Amino acid sequence: MLIDINAYVGHWPFMQLKYNTCDALHERMNKFGVDISVISNLNGIFYKNTQSANEELFEEIRSKVKFRDRFIPFAVINPIYAGWRDDLDVCISKYGFKGVRIYPKYHDFEILDPACIELVKRVRDFGLPVAFNFRMVDSRQRSWIDISNLKNNVIREWNLKNILPIIKAVPDAKYMILNFANAATLNAEELALIKNTDLIFDTSGRTITNMSDFLKNYGSNKFAFGTHSPILDYLTGLLRIESLSPGEADDTIMEMLRSGNAKKILSI
Amino acid sequence: MTNYINRRKFVSRTALSAAGLFVSGQIMGIPRSANLEDTLSLEYPASPYNLMKDVMKYRKLDSHVHAHLFDGGPEGNVFFADRLGIDKMYISLPAYSGEGTPKEFRSYNDLMLKCMKQYPDRLIGQFTLNAIFQKESMEEIKRCVDLGMVGLKVYTQLKINDPLFYPIIEKMIDLKMVIHMHAYAQLGLGGYRMKYNIGIRPNTSIPEDFVEVAKRYPEAMLQYAHIGGGGDWEYACKLFSKHPNIYVDTSGSNNAENMIDFAVKCLGEDRLFFGSDNCYYQSVGKILASNLTENQKKKVFFDNYNTILKKSGRNVD
Repeated sequence: MLIDINAYVGHWPFMQLKYNTCDALHERMNKFGVDISVISNLNGIFYKNTQSANEELFEEIRSKVKFRDRFIPFAVINPIYAGWRDDLDVCISKYGFKGVRIYPKYHDFEILDPACIELVKRVRDFGLPVAFNFRMVDSRQRSWIDISNLKNNVIREWNLKNILPIIKAVPDAKYMILNFANAATLNAEELALIKNTDLIFDTSGRTITNMSDFLKNYGSNKFAFGTHSPILDYLTGLLRIESLSPGEADDTIMEMLRSGNAKKILSI
Repeated sequence: MTNYINRRKFVSRTALSAAGLFVSGQIMGIPRSANLEDTLSLEYPASPYNLMKDVMKYRKLDSHVHAHLFDGGPEGNVFFADRLGIDKMYISLPAYSGEGTPKEFRSYNDLMLKCMKQYPDRLIGQFTLNAIFQKESMEEIKRCVDLGMVGLKVYTQLKINDPLFYPIIEKMIDLKMVIHMHAYAQLGLGGYRMKYNIGIRPNTSIPEDFVEVAKRYPEAMLQYAHIGGGGDWEYACKLFSKHPNIYVDTSGSNNAENMIDFAVKCLGEDRLFFGSDNCYYQSVGKILASNLTENQKKKVFFDNYNTILKKSGRNVD
């Protein structure tokens, strides 16, 4: 069984995306053997009022019965925008969303903004995971109207150390850290924080140059299959798993990577 | 309200259930809509796609890869070549740092020659040089070709359209070998929207530089490095569409979903070379995930670069 913990529908304003509807993603899943995808609506990164994007996703998923058992929706919540607490409640209690994706850089707040901490704690109290991204797109090909990655700009692609403060602030939340990019080096204390937190990375990010090494460093319980589709290609995240040799990952570990770790953090 | 099939039918139809997990709409959490479509077609599911079988189905020549640069010596290259079914890697070590003096570029080429000796069936070298040092560069071409290397890989010491580079291009035309140059299309780099100054490598070749040289030397074979190297691949591919002697390699860490399909749409199926730039997973994944036909994938993975090698008699059987 395969669960993709990092997929999207919706638009990216600076580049045409393919396979960015539930129908197209569903077809992609069928073609390449993916059973379930965790999805959110990319439009929520760009709408000021993210709830409109959550409503779009809710309506799209329930429009066809074939979607119902294949997609796990995550809300996009901006905790510095009016009404976000109500939006969160509606998404989880009424719409049945199973987690929240948070975009501090695009929504213009610091990761330790009190509102962000409150959001993470509220999601934690629902027993659901929150997701943060290292980056959405490769900043080297960014549009001139996308967020800047200039050297002196505070809004740059994150590395793992940039995400640690929120984990430290709310260590008992569940975390998905997506599209692993940039430096992965941690000191012993930081590594312990990662290992002791209910946290998984997905396998889509470019920093994972040798999956076997990452399993050794972080633990085989810390990774789950993810595509970052439709921004990244559909197979690279899976190739990182499937090309592992039996000596690097036995059947038990392979099952953890394909779906077991995802099931655990999603409580399904 | 008849939208849900009963559990028994669901179990009998779904691979999810076969896998021991019952994930109903209720568990997934989405309440049903009042106007659901195709309520009786809970189709299932996911095909039994075997990724590694697909990986190993295609022979591969890696036209852009380095040894002793990102991830150690040639053992690492061959390890991933075996893992992903790459027949041969065309390795290089350009003057990535330093001045690129003759002493330096000779030592880099010597290192690649050593790798070739270590893995003669798997690794073949592309030589490097620095055209600022004309005489030494021309001598180095002869030395390296005589020792079995098969093409040129250069970095950012000079732009590809610098007149100092012309004699090198003419020599490569005589040898019927490809000129492979590091290149980029990025905001603030080498002439592309320089108001976004990012302060690096002013001599990096940009797509316009390749076009200028392609027009001046229509018989030259130019390899624009790594459309997946992070730059604006749409920009580059669009610019190259009418210049048949510019080839692109697909390498680099960026594996944007539509990159390969877009490149074939702009350039046709004969002008893409498979390459990794040591980003092995992405290099294979992005091609397999594309909508190319089997024959087109075969061309990109193997045939196109082999056709170039054949012109100098250095092709693979």
